[in-house]
Amino acid sequence: MKKFFILFLLFTIHYSLSTAVNAGDIPTKPKPAATPEMLAKGKTIYFKRCSFCHGLIGDGNGPAADFMDPRPRDFTIGTFKFRTTASGELPTDEDLFKTISRGLSGTGMQAFDIDKIKNGLTEEERWQVIYYIKTFAPEFSNKELDPYKSIVKPSSSNIPFSKESVEKGKVIFEKTKCWECHGKGGKGDGVKEERKDDWGFPIRIRNVTQPWKIKAGSESEDIFMRFSTGINGTPMPSFIDSLKEEERWHLANFIKSLQYKPNDQSVLKAKQIKGDIPMDFENPVWAKSEVIDIRLAGQVIAAPRWQNPSIDMVTVRAVYNEKEIGFLLEWDDPFKDVIHNESLEFDPKDISSAGAYNSYVDPNKMAHRKLETFRDSIALQFPIKMPEGTKRPHFFRGDAGNPINIWLWKADMDVSGKTAVEENIGTGFKQPLKVQDAKEQQVVAKSLWNGGRWKVIIKRPILTPDKNDTQFEKGKFIPFSLNAWDGSNGEHNLLMSLSTWNYVILETSTPATVWLWSLFGIIGMAGVEIWIVRRIKKP
Amino acid sequence: MGSKFKQGTFWSTVITLIIIYGIVKFAIPFISRKITGMPFPLPVPSTLILFYMVLTIAALFLYTTFSEERLEGFKRPVIDFIKGSYGMLPRNIVLGVLPFVVGWQVYDVTSPKVIPPTSIRIQHPSSNFPKKMEDLKSPIENPSQDAINTFIEQAKANAVEFIPQLKADIERWKKTNPDNHILGFIPTEPIDKFLKEIKAGNVTMEAAKSALHEKNLFEGRALYAMNCRPCHGDSAAGDGPMADGFKLRPINFTDNGTIETIVEGYTFWRVSTGGLGLPPEATPWDSAMPVWNLNLTEEERWKIIMAEYDLAQKTPRIPEKH
Repeated sequence: MKKFFILFLLFTIHYSLSTAVNAGDIPTKPKPAATPEMLAKGKTIYFKRCSFCHGLIGDGNGPAADFMDPRPRDFTIGTFKFRTTASGELPTDEDLFKTISRGLSGTGMQAFDIDKIKNGLTEEERWQVIYYIKTFAPEFSNKELDPYKSIVKPSSSNIPFSKESVEKGKVIFEKTKCWECHGKGGKGDGVKEERKDDWGFPIRIRNVTQPWKIKAGSESEDIFMRFSTGINGTPMPSFIDSLKEEERWHLANFIKSLQYKPNDQSVLKAKQIKGDIPMDFENPVWAKSEVIDIRLAGQVIAAPRWQNPSIDMVTVRAVYNEKEIGFLLEWDDPFKDVIHNESLEFDPKDISSAGAYNSYVDPNKMAHRKLETFRDSIALQFPIKMPEGTKRPHFFRGDAGNPINIWLWKADMDVSGKTAVEENIGTGFKQPLKVQDAKEQQVVAKSLWNGGRWKVIIKRPILTPDKNDTQFEKGKFIPFSLNAWDGSNGEHNLLMSLSTWNYVILETSTPATVWLWSLFGIIGMAGVEIWIVRRIKKP
Repeated sequence: MGSKFKQGTFWSTVITLIIIYGIVKFAIPFISRKITGMPFPLPVPSTLILFYMVLTIAALFLYTTFSEERLEGFKRPVIDFIKGSYGMLPRNIVLGVLPFVVGWQVYDVTSPKVIPPTSIRIQHPSSNFPKKMEDLKSPIENPSQDAINTFIEQAKANAVEFIPQLKADIERWKKTNPDNHILGFIPTEPIDKFLKEIKAGNVTMEAAKSALHEKNLFEGRALYAMNCRPCHGDSAAGDGPMADGFKLRPINFTDNGTIETIVEGYTFWRVSTGGLGLPPEATPWDSAMPVWNLNLTEEERWKIIMAEYDLAQKTPRIPEKH
């Protein structure tokens, strides 16, 4: 019995240790031989798990491919973006192993490592499918193109992240003109004109400040490797000849320093301020207020469905005074889109019926993803009636019995000096929004676009006489959610990103009774102490 | 021996309290995390902690007051401390600070906190689940004789019909494999067997049924990849590219206690009527689940469900006999 217990203990310790180590990206066992049996098994795995995106013949044209951006990789032409080999070369088997194991962040390619996902692929299964994938491109059987001849290996380990290293990296960023494409702040806002990659699809320059979307990993080592190998098929070059290894490490550290870490606040706390709601972005009141980062997803709830949203996070602040409440919304958007062409809007009728080909929108064929086509826009949404308990309108524009109040801001209106923000009523996503009467419009907005980022302040009186308005009562948890549109990403109407419900609360000062109770506590305890001390002193 | 014990009563009481508190507060959540293997601990509710501590204090009180000797042993260091035997400075600091600690605790308990209302959500509500759907059988999982016969005819003529969404990809495969049978791209055993039987001219019902199953599964997987994957993920683990955007995360079908605890009629109902079809106890306003009867045919929905169970390596619950 005792022996059994010890065995159990050892097993538990072993198990907890083995799960703590993040294995998987690098094979733990030697690579097995590519036998015909391995290939046959790889073919079955490919058919079951990969073919729907990458296509039955590996050309990247599977039935799900048309609705994704970036599109699945075409395996037939032997061009692979993420490698540890010199620019233009094929990837090593280990490179493919890494991609399959951990996936590519921000794309449809997810991790397949069985340590991360219950029904993922074992190490052996990953090798099998890699051997099969390599049969699609004739380049892999060409001995002259052997990728193992051109492996890029740093001669030393990384330079640790430090202020000095970041400073040096910044100088290199300027000197190497990374900003020409990636923008001064790294938000991917450097090049305006449309360019196409080797596969013929529009290039979207990486916003390096959002680590959750950096495809092949956001650690310094990953970033270093991209500088050293380039990204095949795109204008991203290799800097292996133009920058010394040390310089590439400093640059990687600088890029790392630009990465934004979203906070995990669950409630937006609006602080009470004295004086007016600041309508300027530099005002220290905003810097001092609390921040909440809200994640957004593509609108995939109803046709037309959109799984390529550009805006996936909005940073929100709020303050209020006795009369008004103001929200500051900030989000990354590389281009300032202030034109709206209604005639180019998508007609949802084509794909909204049952049995239609698909209810998702093809980003490359159906949507006009061009500059100067659609406006940038954002909206704040609240329930009109404050919920009883936790009951709320549906987060997707409410429903007939539970309408929502939505403040819709439009960039094109703002720059042309018209009313930029309007109060609307929503009764479900099937109904168009209803603009409230002119006399019931009380929202005011101010906006600024700078260096790939929008900032918009929207304010409104906390209480209004209008029965179709949300009333902001102090101390109440008021649900709010967001809708966002990036015009040059083809977004308009229901092609948008949206968030589910979050809470905003107008913080009140601590009630006097709390202080009174605390005072009683202090006095009471002191009294008890005095009584004890006196008793002890008595003989 | 006796005097040694006396000295220790106060401290052993204090240490016991600390150890019990440590176990309840930290050790239980830690062990629970190791046992469940989940990335988060199961915390002990504060009321339960209070309950355990009151019990512990009661037990310790009984223990120390059991004999005069022990009570003395407990009281002595306290009285000595208050008298100043251990130095006046520590005594004054403790006596000075203690009222404020109490005051702070009172403040902590009475001051309003920003805790958003939480809702208890029932994941598998049945209040508005139509009873007649309980025994619903998947027409794809249980094909009619007619359906199998049609499939055999199509296969014999090398002209199997696929859903329109897949035609283009299969066409391209056919172009590079002109001599192969139209079902030849499915590299599984039942299809191999079926194709061999066709070649030999002796098709069995069993083989045809299994092959039709493979074909439907293929279509279901493709429909899943197109429609469900953005949220539920390509491994059905609730981790699709859109998943982080929803506070109520898409369900992880590979978890025990999700799709294997319900009958397939229920799954069909959930897929068809979506989040909006849920009763209030399942917080429909937080659910991003689409109403798929608007955009997918009944057959498409059944094929997806078949593929979903297969991908998650689960089987639906069998309806109870009435």
